[in-house]
Amino acid sequence: MKCKEVRSLFSEFYNRELNQQAIKLLEEHLSGCSECQEEYLRFKKILKILGKWKPLDTPCNYLNGMKSAGKTKVDR
Amino acid sequence: MTADEICLIERAKEGDREALNDLFSREQKYIFNLMVQLTGEPALADDLTQEAFLLAYQNLKKFRLQSSFRTWLSKIAINQFLKECKQKPKHVPLCFEEIKIPSEKYHLERIVFKRELQQCILHSLQQHVPKKYRTALILRDLQNLSYREISEVLSWSIGKVKTRIHRGRKILRAYFVSSKCKAFAEKDYLCICEGILEL
Repeated sequence: MKCKEVRSLFSEFYNRELNQQAIKLLEEHLSGCSECQEEYLRFKKILKILGKWKPLDTPCNYLNGMKSAGKTKVDR
Repeated sequence: MTADEICLIERAKEGDREALNDLFSREQKYIFNLMVQLTGEPALADDLTQEAFLLAYQNLKKFRLQSSFRTWLSKIAINQFLKECKQKPKHVPLCFEEIKIPSEKYHLERIVFKRELQQCILHSLQQHVPKKYRTALILRDLQNLSYREISEVLSWSIGKVKTRIHRGRKILRAYFVSSKCKAFAEKDYLCICEGILEL
């Protein structure tokens, strides 16, 4: 496998959606290519950091605004 | 869907205000955050959430319990977001800012930085990944939904969901490569990102 092909499969590899043969080829490449290894680490970090999203509090209770808006069209 | 949720929905359909309040209160934080993730603008997210809840309120009787209430509500909210995208021209960030990352010993500052980095990644996602990929990517990687759940929310086949997620991730990764952002390098914590001033 070449670097370009390996990098194009990062997402599927991350989700464990590749077949055994592809996984083996990709892992072999990663173990011998420090640039792809670094790229894959960075890719994983992006997703890991995104996954740690801390939910924000809502600015209001949306049902309250509907007590009046439910009868008439919402005023924006 | 739980029996409790079905009961609440049935009561809300019959006009029970308390049930409606319960039902909406459970989901408002989730929907608001989904809109923040999609738009990157809390004020706009607030408007879209309000519109989505109003539409849900007006159409509650049409809800046939074929999906969870959250899935149905997410669908409505995402449609509102897509409508908004058509009406509003794309925002192009112009500012570039350079940030030095504090050393390990300033633990608190590093926590602040990590948050900023997350915002930076999300901002890049919002600005550089087309919305046809972005929506699925956010539902998967921020909301942690399964392929099946995403396919229900977006009314796409599971195959299409997978393809769009993988493609979106590739675009996001390519953006970070082309931007020469070094925020993820192990040793060099110099980060140069767009839009960081807006955080």
